[in-house]
Amino acid sequence: MSKTDGYEIRLSGTGGQGLGLGGKMLAAALSSEGLHVAQSQSYEPTSRGGMSRSDLVVSRQTADYPLATGLDYLLILDKRAISISEGMINKDAVVLVDEELVPDPPSGHFKVHALPLSRTAISLGNLRVTNVVSLGALIALGDFCSIETMEAAIKQVTPKKYAQMNLDAVRAGYELVQH
Amino acid sequence: MSPVPGNSPQLQSLQGNQACALGAIAAGCRLFAGYPITPSSEIAERMSKELPRVDGVFVQMEDEIASMAACLGGSLGGVKSMTATSGPGFSLKQENIGYGIQAEIPCVVINVMRGGPSTGMPTRPAQGDVMQARWGTHGDHPIIVLTPSSVQEIYQQTIQAFNFSETYRIPVIVLYDEAIGHLVDTVELPDPKDIETTDRKWATGPAEDYLPYAPDKDGIPPMPRPGDGYRTHTTGLTHLETGFPTQVPDDVTRVTSRLLDKIENHRDEIEQYELLSCGDADILIVAFGITARASERAVNMARDKGIKAGLLRPVTLWPFPEKALQELAGHAKHVLVPEMNAGQLILEIERLCAGSVPVSGINRFDGETIKPNEVLAKIEELNNG
Amino acid sequence: MVESAMPLKIRQKSVDGARDEFEIRDYLRLDLFPHFLCPGCGHGIALRALLWAIHDLDIEKDQLAIVSGIGCSGRLSAYVDANTFHTTHGRPLAFAAGLKLARPDLHVIVITGDGDCLAIGGNHLIHAARRNLDITCIMMNNEVYGMTGGQVSPTTSLDRFTTTTPMGNQEPGFDACALAKGAGATFVGREVTLQTTALKNLMQEGLVHKGFSFVEVISDCTEIYGRKNDLGSSPEMVLSQKRSVLPRFDGTAVDKPFRAGNWETGILSRQERPEYYSAYRAHCHKVLGK
Repeated sequence: MSKTDGYEIRLSGTGGQGLGLGGKMLAAALSSEGLHVAQSQSYEPTSRGGMSRSDLVVSRQTADYPLATGLDYLLILDKRAISISEGMINKDAVVLVDEELVPDPPSGHFKVHALPLSRTAISLGNLRVTNVVSLGALIALGDFCSIETMEAAIKQVTPKKYAQMNLDAVRAGYELVQH
Repeated sequence: MSPVPGNSPQLQSLQGNQACALGAIAAGCRLFAGYPITPSSEIAERMSKELPRVDGVFVQMEDEIASMAACLGGSLGGVKSMTATSGPGFSLKQENIGYGIQAEIPCVVINVMRGGPSTGMPTRPAQGDVMQARWGTHGDHPIIVLTPSSVQEIYQQTIQAFNFSETYRIPVIVLYDEAIGHLVDTVELPDPKDIETTDRKWATGPAEDYLPYAPDKDGIPPMPRPGDGYRTHTTGLTHLETGFPTQVPDDVTRVTSRLLDKIENHRDEIEQYELLSCGDADILIVAFGITARASERAVNMARDKGIKAGLLRPVTLWPFPEKALQELAGHAKHVLVPEMNAGQLILEIERLCAGSVPVSGINRFDGETIKPNEVLAKIEELNNG
Repeated sequence: MVESAMPLKIRQKSVDGARDEFEIRDYLRLDLFPHFLCPGCGHGIALRALLWAIHDLDIEKDQLAIVSGIGCSGRLSAYVDANTFHTTHGRPLAFAAGLKLARPDLHVIVITGDGDCLAIGGNHLIHAARRNLDITCIMMNNEVYGMTGGQVSPTTSLDRFTTTTPMGNQEPGFDACALAKGAGATFVGREVTLQTTALKNLMQEGLVHKGFSFVEVISDCTEIYGRKNDLGSSPEMVLSQKRSVLPRFDGTAVDKPFRAGNWETGILSRQERPEYYSAYRAHCHKVLGK
């Protein structure tokens, strides 16, 4: 699919990193701008620790094929998840990796951004918000969604008691790139 | 699911299995009996939440067999009923599906296909139940199997399944793969006012003259509702118009033929399919479910390259849209059947094409979906060959 | 209607005199007669007791649903002038669950056998008992698979001969009532066909009980099981029931068994527990604020 028609996003890492929830937040944000979003996840019997991915196929109308075939935006939060995306990263794609968890990122005709995503989450007091920090960084790098739209979607998707924590996390991730 | 903000209230982000549950509620389903199994459990979970709101009943039974039985029991009571399962559970339900066919009990059975045989790959998509959906229960029997290929269509076809089951008094199977079942997509649900639902013909008139299995002109007998005074007998034994068993050869031929004809004679109303770029297609692809979506992309890519490819997507997998296939295959140079199994639908396609055109397949049974590029590569190969 | 098939016209007054005399023909589909049960089979006595209880409780035939499984017991439903459902082997309790949940207004009675209920359908029995849906389950126990020609069942007595225990049965059997009670059945009873009035009264109590009631009927298979084991002809088999029961009424033994290790009869257990459908509906309404 060409980027004029739509684009594909993958959040990848290991089970328990909140990639499904991250995908849901991103989908809510993009949907709110009138886009059609097809989300699919690797669906493994083990809910913790195994390889995990959350894909979004974004288009103006319902996509002919709803599963990822060529990635335009890729987040990698664990080195074990590199292999599942090899060979399907589009030219000029934006690849965002955690600089500690993915010390040896893939290389090719795409730009790799290694940032302290998990470290930022820890500095916010909760490693588990790495997913949301990553979303902030990804939209800052990718420019496919405004921070305001993302914040509104996070409020919509997140249970109230975690809302502020996630809002802080997405802003921190966004500012990692802006600075 | 909350509506997508900023859009019409019907536009929402919905998972395939959840769409199935909502479609069932919209169709008038008021009893769900199920048993947890991956990858269909979200249907039961959503039904357990939705049914109490519409004064329906959700029950998690002790096993798959009981779920199918309770679903039939509910329908015999006059309530639209559904069950949902996958792979091993579908195998367990087969005997009672046969009972539903023999006793002509409307109901809907969802089968979300996963890798098999046996426990296979619970979380991986497959399309290996094509023939089981048709012939899973023993003996000669009719069946209706619908196979949606998108989240939106799961919603619509679940409603259609109820309508067919009520109209023809038969269990209807909705068959889709895990990839579609777990896909979350942006869908536009119709206004409930615009949804057409069908109810079975109920027996009316004097009880004394009533024969529970005497068909109307359309081949379908009206159904007695317990409590309405008909006091009929329902059995899985081959039975006469009276409802009581028979083994007299002429009688058995008559009643079993009627059972088969009731679907066969209504093919025109039942068969549904979708065509893409088929008008001048040299290479005709026949595919369903997620594989049809990959084929759709592949056909578009092939057309961009000037290759005349087209797609026939059966929506009713059984009865298979025979005439449509034969007509299109008559003009094609190749027929291509990609499917996520070792070659099941292709058997039916070969039977229908009867040697008039070469038929080839793309087969995967490794738990991965067939990708658009794989279909395109085969199209190009056939085009060059 | 084949009047001659049932020459005997036995009228029985209802026990409390509140109802008309019981005439079994009013409850049967006589045009299906002669019935298919073997001469001497205890199932006919059990069916009579059941219909008598239904009569005395004034249950309308239109509101009566009889659900049966497969086997000799399974065939009984067809003879009853009611809404009758002859379902699949072992599954009548599961069909009945769906029917009762869809139509709580119906009186749902399951007729099943020892093989149907305890072997292939054993899982459904324990869960029906646990759930406590308002269904009455009548299990005919003749210790054998009669319909298929006389194979061993989960209740066949030790050392008895069947077509699949040619050297005598060595498997221990189920105590069906203990099983039902253990699984949570709120009404459990057992009776022999010899004591037809007691059987009828027990069934009546079961029918009145709100919740899952389980009634085991000790019924004789004379043609197959009786002959294979030299148990005598029908009258001898029925009379021998007398020697093998331990009558018990509401838990009080009034008689001692002739032999050791025999069946207790009467109401063996009766408890109050919320009925499944009523509890489900009430709970949903409460949670949803209806």
